[in-house]
Amino acid sequence: MATTITKTETLVGKRIRRREDPRLITGTATYVDDIQMPGMHHACIVRSPHGAANIKSINTKPALDLPGVVAVFTGKDTEKIAPVPCGASLPGLRVPHHHVLAMDRVYFLGHPVAVVVATDRYIARDAADLVEVDYEPLQAVTDPEKAIAPGAPPVHPEWPDNTAFNYHQEGGDVDKAFAEADVIVKQRITSQRLIPAPMEGRGVVAEWLAGDRALTLHSSTQIPHLLRSLIAMMLGLEENRLRVVTPEVGGAFGCKLNVYAEEALMGFVAMKIGKPVKWIESRRENFTCTIHGRGHVDYYEVAAKRDGTITGIKLKLIQDLGAYHQLLTPAIPTLSVLMMPGLYACRNIRADIVGAFTNAVPTDAYRGAGRPEATHGIERMVDILAAELKMDPVDIRLKNFVGNDAFPYTTATGLTYDSGNYAAPFEKALGIVKYKELREEQKQARAAGRLFGIGLSTYGEICAMGPSPATAAGGWESATVKIEPSGKVTVMTGASPHGQGEETTFAQIAADELGVGIDDILVLHGDTAVVQYGIGTFGSRGTAIGGTAMYFAIQDLKKKIKKYGAMLLASEDVSFANGVCTDNQSGKSVSLKEIAAASYRAMSLPPGETPGLVATNFWEPPNFTFPFGAHIVITEVDRDTGAIELKRYVAVDDCGKIINPLIVDGQVHGGVVQGLGQALWEQAVYDDNGQLVTGEFMDYALPKASNIPWIESSHTETPSPVNPLGVKGVGEAGTIGCSPAVVNSVVDALSPLGVRHIDMPLTPEKIWNLVQAGGQA
Amino acid sequence: MIAQNFEYAAPGNLQEALDLLAGGDAKALAGGMSLIPLMKLRLTAPDQLVDLARIAELNYIREEAGTLRIGATTTHYQVESSPLVRSKCPLLAEAASSIGDIQVRNQGTMGGSVAHADPAADYPASLLALEGRVKLVTAKSERELSLADFFVDTFTTALEPGEIIREVIVPVEAQSTGTSYQKVIQPASGFAIVGVAARVQKANGKIGMARIGVTGLSGKPYRATNVEQALEGTAAAAADIQKAAALVAAGVDANADLHASANYRRQLGRVYTARALAAALSRMA
Amino acid sequence: MKLEGSYLVPAGQERVYRLLQDPEVLAKCMPGTDRLDKVAEDEYEMKMKMMIAGMGGMFAGKIRIADQKAPESFRLVVDGTGKIGFIKGEGLLNLIAQGEKTEVKYEGDVQVGGTIAGVGQRLLDTTSKMIIKKFFEKFSEICAAD
Repeated sequence: MATTITKTETLVGKRIRRREDPRLITGTATYVDDIQMPGMHHACIVRSPHGAANIKSINTKPALDLPGVVAVFTGKDTEKIAPVPCGASLPGLRVPHHHVLAMDRVYFLGHPVAVVVATDRYIARDAADLVEVDYEPLQAVTDPEKAIAPGAPPVHPEWPDNTAFNYHQEGGDVDKAFAEADVIVKQRITSQRLIPAPMEGRGVVAEWLAGDRALTLHSSTQIPHLLRSLIAMMLGLEENRLRVVTPEVGGAFGCKLNVYAEEALMGFVAMKIGKPVKWIESRRENFTCTIHGRGHVDYYEVAAKRDGTITGIKLKLIQDLGAYHQLLTPAIPTLSVLMMPGLYACRNIRADIVGAFTNAVPTDAYRGAGRPEATHGIERMVDILAAELKMDPVDIRLKNFVGNDAFPYTTATGLTYDSGNYAAPFEKALGIVKYKELREEQKQARAAGRLFGIGLSTYGEICAMGPSPATAAGGWESATVKIEPSGKVTVMTGASPHGQGEETTFAQIAADELGVGIDDILVLHGDTAVVQYGIGTFGSRGTAIGGTAMYFAIQDLKKKIKKYGAMLLASEDVSFANGVCTDNQSGKSVSLKEIAAASYRAMSLPPGETPGLVATNFWEPPNFTFPFGAHIVITEVDRDTGAIELKRYVAVDDCGKIINPLIVDGQVHGGVVQGLGQALWEQAVYDDNGQLVTGEFMDYALPKASNIPWIESSHTETPSPVNPLGVKGVGEAGTIGCSPAVVNSVVDALSPLGVRHIDMPLTPEKIWNLVQAGGQA
Repeated sequence: MIAQNFEYAAPGNLQEALDLLAGGDAKALAGGMSLIPLMKLRLTAPDQLVDLARIAELNYIREEAGTLRIGATTTHYQVESSPLVRSKCPLLAEAASSIGDIQVRNQGTMGGSVAHADPAADYPASLLALEGRVKLVTAKSERELSLADFFVDTFTTALEPGEIIREVIVPVEAQSTGTSYQKVIQPASGFAIVGVAARVQKANGKIGMARIGVTGLSGKPYRATNVEQALEGTAAAAADIQKAAALVAAGVDANADLHASANYRRQLGRVYTARALAAALSRMA
Repeated sequence: MKLEGSYLVPAGQERVYRLLQDPEVLAKCMPGTDRLDKVAEDEYEMKMKMMIAGMGGMFAGKIRIADQKAPESFRLVVDGTGKIGFIKGEGLLNLIAQGEKTEVKYEGDVQVGGTIAGVGQRLLDTTSKMIIKKFFEKFSEICAAD
């Protein structure tokens, strides 16, 4: 028997370049729009140009008369399709019936009204202009506070108060905390609507094989399996007759963690016309019809003792829901409430959420989903409290952190923080910026009349979503690990990564566990006909749950490998390491490749064993994970123009055990950039009539590389006890930590003028007005 | 986003292009940085496009009798990187380098930008400060206009139907002139919220010549002659600059949009006029 | 979008008031408009060809004159739809005698919808100002004539 040592170097913890990148940067990846099929037709959707209107009539004839048009469907034709699903459940939640095409009324700009199907994309687009829709415009309401005020125009006539739900959560004794407080600070804080704007918009190709009664849906989604179950339900199709394939996804950030009308609609069209059909979202549609993020108006009150101890937090949260509930719309603000104490050991909290319908596209999960809002709120309030008490914002944070000896720590909102050492990344970040010297520098700058700011944010997040009882559709994840007869390893993960680099990180973990080279491993995902089942990638869960499922599948395989090894070595005492099974007595060994071949050839089997080397694991996590970190931002404000200079950005994140520092830094960078986008530039603005006036990239300011400072990213590593990998998740950390650090920095810069709070985005004009008014604007 | 059907012609020489445009219905396509998005959004739907990209005789930068002549389809990147423009008319090279991003600069053209007359475009500030001219041609005629006369109103120029810009003409800058273009970038589009171009010369310690061109502030670009006059004859001390720059928006109907109110635009106009002047003075030989 | 401003036109208040409600005069002054068709008392239909920055096309719309307080003020209600979007607006015109001339003060609110509202934000202010300017330039010509 040959004894080949396959591998001894471990890969976990190494900066390994992403295996996904070559195909992405050479243009050889396949996205939905790259799919071509014989006989494929194209769909274009006719959409409402109004924020609210009655549909008096629709005339499809001029469109149908255009040569090349094969069908036009309206709400009447699609009425039997079950509504677009809302997966969130809250007590008393009002759920509007969300038809895939509007019936007699449109509720938001871009609301789908009809779908035109033609032999090519250009004819379909031309024909969409020929569909004549007679609208009777109605008064719209787009501001959530105005929507819930008396006398507002009703979004849904059946619910004139525009209130989808009221949600209350309370822990400890809030009234006592406030009654006994030495100081109470209050502030209204908004978190504006944002457009997720992935590079690739949504897209669907549907193919119906009538003979097989089989529908295949190619969709740019984060959740292929959930999509399959829900689309099958909407179309009245047996689940096993529907296959969802997720090709390359060009960015999602939560906006593809959803089930959209167009996905069901394309299935419907394919079944109706008996031909494949493709729909590719335009950028205009992406802005107006794909979910938006955030949309909070928060009223905070914080009670504290004179020494800075935070004793109580009250929050009234008004969530702009938009016109409908998409998959998780009403659940997002509840995540903000869960995380409202942040990293602080405050035992008394009270939160009230009002979910407000507005004539706008629904909000839903967008990178961070509820936690950036919560972090922004508490981190702003802590700074406001520090200013009120004339305390250093460092001291007040250190004073209130949950202590290292308190873990697992149960919060006043009912969560159990798994592990933490909150001072560690904070002190590291303070060390990097030389905080004491920096305050000295600030003093001198101020003396010279300069507006120089230092902003801190110490954030916590809830990740690895999540234990099944706490989620809408199951919070486990699955993996199948298959060692092929040749010894190559195929991993099929239900976490459907779309940019997180899990084809690399999962391969690193599997390579170490099996002792094979990374190039011997293929990670497959995103096809319900290939992958056993899965939940998806969102809520920073991919590695913590999906990776763990893979880890346990490999552990099962290792047991089987050892049995085969023992059989082949005719030994009772074998060990498996570095890709070889060794007889501990004789030192003889057999390679994984040889074991794999023997297991499939199955000339003989170990006692009680089956042929083959395939294992599947469905792993249910016992808890969420709770990463944390500290960001510090140094800014200077130009008095004459209000322009903000980002002088320095320091991020120290603790996401538990790091599998690949290169990918972790990449995630932090991307997250921070999106956080900067919210803090400084981005805002989705609807006017009072429901027109989205930031309707494209000429007016909606995404961050550009040239606007971004060098991000000094480093880490501390506090392993999570929740999973054997010790990982927590990092996909959203940058976004969550960023915005309060930026705003705290600019408020600090302007604090000599008496400025206490500024709502995002911090546009130069807003800042200049404050400077002009001596802080009083 | 898909445009309506249109005919497309890509003639190889100028006369052929002008003949195609003569009817007045066809639209000239240069770099397409404004026209193509408008077509894809279906805000415009020309029946015919005449693409000027293949006409070699429209793409040049040459020096002639104390002027630089820049062919209409010369890209922003060509202007920005041309040794001739950089040495003989640095203000224009600086303005070109501030346009959009590198992709836009590789594609967009000087003629296209000037003909579109976007009130927030970068070139016009410099072209007005340079007292530049345009040569316009039709199938049958040719004329020259000052840019001050060419820019009529917002998105409106003196171009007649069937007429295109042949070339833009700017003076060769005297060695002693200091110039600068300073802009406030609209963070989404990259256009100028306000852009100010300044040219200054000193004689005997006093400002002998000052030219200020302003874009973005108003519906059309303009020369701030009041600032120029206030500055000329002064020693250009900091106080002189402030005093002169303070006049830049006087009597101007300032634009207001999502990105800047009229009041804020006026403030940016004042600040950036002072900054452009200070930078121009510092670059004076 | 709020619009406000004023123009000094070379005619007396009574005459300006009358001319501003004369459909033939309005048709001449509105850029790209040939004529107004009366559909009811003080209500007209019109077609307007608009071209700005190479974009635009035909708009079909209605104009209604209301709240007449001759010769001092009246209200103009406008409603127009075209392929690139739609507008709906209402404005109050105040006529103030200034000797031989009349100052026309206007203030109104215009709602813009459709594609142009979503993608043309930065064009709206400058182009609407230009249209108003063109209107009053032509109107002043007419006032000055005969």
